[in-house]
Amino acid sequence: MEEDILNEIVSSEDLKKFEKKYHIELAAGNLQRQTRFNYAWCLVRSRYSADIRKGIILLQELCRTEDLSNESSKRDYLYYLALGNARIKEYTTALQYTRAFLQVEPGNQQVATLETLIKKKMETDGIKGIALAGGVALAVGGIVTLGFALAKGKSK
Amino acid sequence: MSNFSNDVLTTLKILIIGESSVGKSSLLMRFIHDRFEDDLGLTIGVDFKTKTVVIDGNSVKLAIWDTAGQERFRTLTPSYYRDAQGAILVYDVSSRVSFVKLELWLNELEMYSNRKGIIMMIVGNKIDKDKREVSREEGIQFAKKYKSLFIETSAKTKDGVEYAFDELVQKIIETPALWENTRYRQTQQLTDDNITDNQSSCLC
Ligand SMILES: Nc1nc2c(ncn2[C@@H]2O[C@H](COP(=O)(O)OP(=O)(O)O)[C@@H](O)[C@H]2O)c(=O)[nH]1
Ligand SMILES: [Mg+2]
Repeated sequence: MEEDILNEIVSSEDLKKFEKKYHIELAAGNLQRQTRFNYAWCLVRSRYSADIRKGIILLQELCRTEDLSNESSKRDYLYYLALGNARIKEYTTALQYTRAFLQVEPGNQQVATLETLIKKKMETDGIKGIALAGGVALAVGGIVTLGFALAKGKSK
Repeated sequence: MSNFSNDVLTTLKILIIGESSVGKSSLLMRFIHDRFEDDLGLTIGVDFKTKTVVIDGNSVKLAIWDTAGQERFRTLTPSYYRDAQGAILVYDVSSRVSFVKLELWLNELEMYSNRKGIIMMIVGNKIDKDKREVSREEGIQFAKKYKSLFIETSAKTKDGVEYAFDELVQKIIETPALWENTRYRQTQQLTDDNITDNQSSCLC
């Protein structure tokens, strides 16, 4: 029953609204981080895998360029990166994100639930993720850095 | 669609709203999993869980939406409220601020909910704590003013939690105008897990 969070589809109204805002700001050379995030948040909840991939790229960019002290934003990015990857069946990558998150915040129920769901999906789909080893290694590098950044912020 | 979902009378969308850390996610966790954690983490964006309950012999599927209410997700507020049939408005009886702010949440609910006569349940949570800043009487008066149901709860000890959800669902079911025409659409939205390849919703 809990798999619903992976199946929830963004309303096309929302997706269009934030897509429009994104392109207007982009054209004006005035793209806000909040706009980028809103658009990415809609994209990873889209029905279409091409949208989800686009959302993942936006989130990765936001992640890379985020101020190290901005903890709450980073947990949002990690969570939606995990969700987006799970939705396009990139389960291994998705799990890297949930694990990185749980290393910093072990008690987080929302992420623990997502992780359980992903593992269940992997079982039902057959472990398709393994074949993507190359991409995973690359992704892991980025995540480890991010995990450390998160942990560092937490201890101060 | 499976046979199972055909047996479901309807799917209801229920919101949990209120200030941060009043115990919204804890109430949901208690209701769904009958568990309590001392620190389950700040909710990211919007979370939702589902549970099927039986009301007067009919199965009713609940999709319960929980949010952290952070600023960065505020722009998506209208779609969060859209089509909800019920709302659980939570404050913390040990925090007057959380009670005072409930009025803002009520206003927002009234502004964005597009369904006439949405059923509300006001919940004063954390009654297990020794410290109390809001009396039960005040809670009741407030609920009366807004024609809302009311209960005091503790997600920690379970007190009142079941009642809060059951009573709300019961009231919604007793108001068919809230759900009768929405059967098909909502069921479809929740069970359609086909993510389509190689397409994009945009033309760029
Ligand atoms: N004593 C007590 N603590 C609670 C209760 N409900 C929640 N909490 C605690 O209050 C904090 C915030 O709870 P949470 O559910 O995350 O609040 P949310 O931000 O509204 O979702 C957590 O530390 C919970 O353990 C309760 O009924 N009694
Ligand atoms: Mg919460």
